[in-house]
Amino acid sequence: MQRLLGPLLVTPALLVILVLFALPLAASVIGAFEVDGAAGLGNFTKAYRLYTQDIVFTALIVGLSALLVGLLSVAIGGYLTLGENPRAVALLRWLYRWPMFIPFIVVGQVLRTFLAKSGLFNTTLISLGLLDPMSATSYLDWRGIVAAFVWKQTPFVALMVSGAMASLDRSTIEAARNLGASRLRILVEIVVPQVTTTLLVGLVLSFVTMMSVLSVPLMINAQTPTMITADIAFRLNTYRDYGVANALGLISLAITGSVAWFYLRVNMRQAQ
Amino acid sequence: MKLLLNTTIALAVVASPVAAAELTVITAGDQNMVDYVNQYLAPKFEQANPGNTVRAVGTGPGDAGSQKILERFDAQAKADAATWDTDVAVVHEKFAGPMVKAGYLEAYRDAIATGKLVTRANADNALGTEVKGYVMPMFNSQTALAYNPALVSNPPKSYAEIAEWAKAHPGQFGYNGIKGGASGVSFVMGWIYAFSDSDPKTLMYGPFDEAEKTKWDGAFASLKEFTKSATLTPGNAGTLDLLSRGEIAVGPVWVDMFYSWQADGRLPPDLKLILPAPGMPGQPMHYVIPAKAPNKALAEKFVELATSPDVQAEGIVKRFNWYPGIDADQVKAKLDDATWNKLFVDITPADLAEKGKPFPLAPYNTAILEAYEAKVAN
Repeated sequence: MQRLLGPLLVTPALLVILVLFALPLAASVIGAFEVDGAAGLGNFTKAYRLYTQDIVFTALIVGLSALLVGLLSVAIGGYLTLGENPRAVALLRWLYRWPMFIPFIVVGQVLRTFLAKSGLFNTTLISLGLLDPMSATSYLDWRGIVAAFVWKQTPFVALMVSGAMASLDRSTIEAARNLGASRLRILVEIVVPQVTTTLLVGLVLSFVTMMSVLSVPLMINAQTPTMITADIAFRLNTYRDYGVANALGLISLAITGSVAWFYLRVNMRQAQ
Repeated sequence: MKLLLNTTIALAVVASPVAAAELTVITAGDQNMVDYVNQYLAPKFEQANPGNTVRAVGTGPGDAGSQKILERFDAQAKADAATWDTDVAVVHEKFAGPMVKAGYLEAYRDAIATGKLVTRANADNALGTEVKGYVMPMFNSQTALAYNPALVSNPPKSYAEIAEWAKAHPGQFGYNGIKGGASGVSFVMGWIYAFSDSDPKTLMYGPFDEAEKTKWDGAFASLKEFTKSATLTPGNAGTLDLLSRGEIAVGPVWVDMFYSWQADGRLPPDLKLILPAPGMPGQPMHYVIPAKAPNKALAEKFVELATSPDVQAEGIVKRFNWYPGIDADQVKAKLDDATWNKLFVDITPADLAEKGKPFPLAPYNTAILEAYEAKVAN
C-alpha cells in the first residue's frame, strides 16, 4: 500500500500535464507539418514568405526590450544597494514595483493615448518648449511596443536583481569603497558580475513573456511590421488556418528556445 | 419512500409550464450587440412570450467572433450531439456560407412572416454561397471615408483622387491595415475594385478563377506606395480616435460606428462622410438558427420579432444607426422623416445604391488579404 501511495498521489498532476499541456503541444507541432492532410513544410515556407519581416521585427523588438529592461533593472537594483540618500532609496523601493501589478492590456491602453501624436507625452514636451508642434509624431509603432514592454517588465527583473544584490557579501563593496572606487565602478565591476546569473534568469523569463504578448501589439500597432502573436491571431481568425499559425508558433518557440539555450550555456560555463 | 419520490417528480413535470424555455442567443460583434439583445430584444420577446427567458452570449468582435461560433457548431456536429446549445446565432456574412455548406442551419426564412420582407440580394447569396432561406439579415452596414472639413475642404471623391491627395498630404490619410478591423479591409477591397485588372463584378459575384489572382500586382504595388504616405492606425476605433484629435484628416470608417460615436459626443459634430467612387464594400450580419436548436419554434418567433418593421425601425435604425436588414420602405414607414434622414445626411440612398458594394467572394477575399500580406505588408 505504502509503495502504491507515491505513484497514486502523482498521477492526477501527471494526467493534467499530459492531457492539458503535452497533448495540445504535440497536436500543434504535428499540425505545423501538416498541409492538406499530408506531411510537408508548406506551412513554414508560407510563414517565411508572408511573415519574414514580422519574425525579424519580433526578435529585434523583444531583444531590444530585454536589453533595456536589463540596463534599467541594474540601475534600479544598483541604486537600492549603493544609494546613500535613505529617502530616495525608500521612495524608489516603494515606487518601482507598481507596474508589475498592471496587466499588459492596460499598459497597451494607457500608452495608446499617452504616446499618440497629440497625446500627453507630446503635449507635455510641446508645453515645455522641447518639441515643435509641427514636428510632433506618433510613437504608436515599434517604439510604443518597446516602451510598453520595458515599462511592464523592468520591475520584475529589478525585483530579482535587487534581491540578489542585497544578499551579496557587503564586505567586497566596502573594500572597494575603502580603496576609493566610485559607486558606478563598484556597480559595474563588483556588484553586477556577482548577480549575472540572476539577471540572466530574469531576462530570459521576461523574453519569453514578451514573446507571447498579444494585447500590446494589437492595441498599439497591429500593422506592418507587427509581432508574431498578432499574425498568429490573424491566421486563425481570418483564414481558419491552423497550419501556418502552428508553424508561426513553432518559430517563436525556436526563438525563445535559442535564448534559453544561450542562458544554459552561460550557466554551465560558470559552473565549471 | 420511492413512491413519494416518483410522485414528486411526476408532479414537478406536470406542474412546470410546457413552454417555459431559456432561449440562448449567441452573437458575434462588439459589446453593443450583446447589449442590443439583452436590453432591447430580450424584454420585448419575454413580454410577448411570457414564461420564456432570453440569454445572450457575446463571442467577441470581428471575424474572430463569428469564427468562435462556427467552431462551436463544428465541435457539436463532430460530437454528434442530438441537440445543440444554441437557439439563435448572429454571424458575419462571411461565415453564413460555410455554415450552410456544412449543413448546420435550419432553412426557416419562408416559415416566418417577416421572411418575405427581405429584398436585398445579399440575403440570398453570401459571398458566393447560396444561403437563401437559411439567413435573415439583422442589419446592413457600410464603410465610407470620414473626413474633417476643417482640414480638407474638398475631400477626394474617388479612389484615384484619394491616391493623389494622400501623396500631396503625407500622413494625413489614415487606415488600419487589414489586421485591425474590417474598415481597413474594406478600404483595401475598394482599392482592388478600383485599380486591379480584374473586373470587380467577377470578384463580387463570381465565378471564382485562380487566374484572377495574377491581375492584382499593379494595384498592390500602388497600394504599397500609397501606404508609405499614409498613417497606419490601431483598429477601427483607432481611425476614429485619430480623426477626432485631428491627427489625420481622412480615413475609412464604419458608417454606423461613425454616427453612434458622433451621437455620444465622442466625435466632433462637424466631421463628415463621403462614399468614394467606384465604391466601398459593406456587409450584413445574419440571424441563423441551427438545425439542431433545442427550441426551434421559439427561435423562429425571436427572429420574426427581431426582423419586424417596428423593431428594425426603433432598434436597428434609430438606436444603432445601422441600415435596416429588411426592405427599407417597410422600415421607413415606421419612422419620422428626421430620424430616417439622419441616416442619409452625407451618403444619399442614390450613393448607396451606386457605390455600396459587397465584399468579394470568400475565396477572392482570402486571396486578396493574403496577397496584401505578401506584397504590401512584407
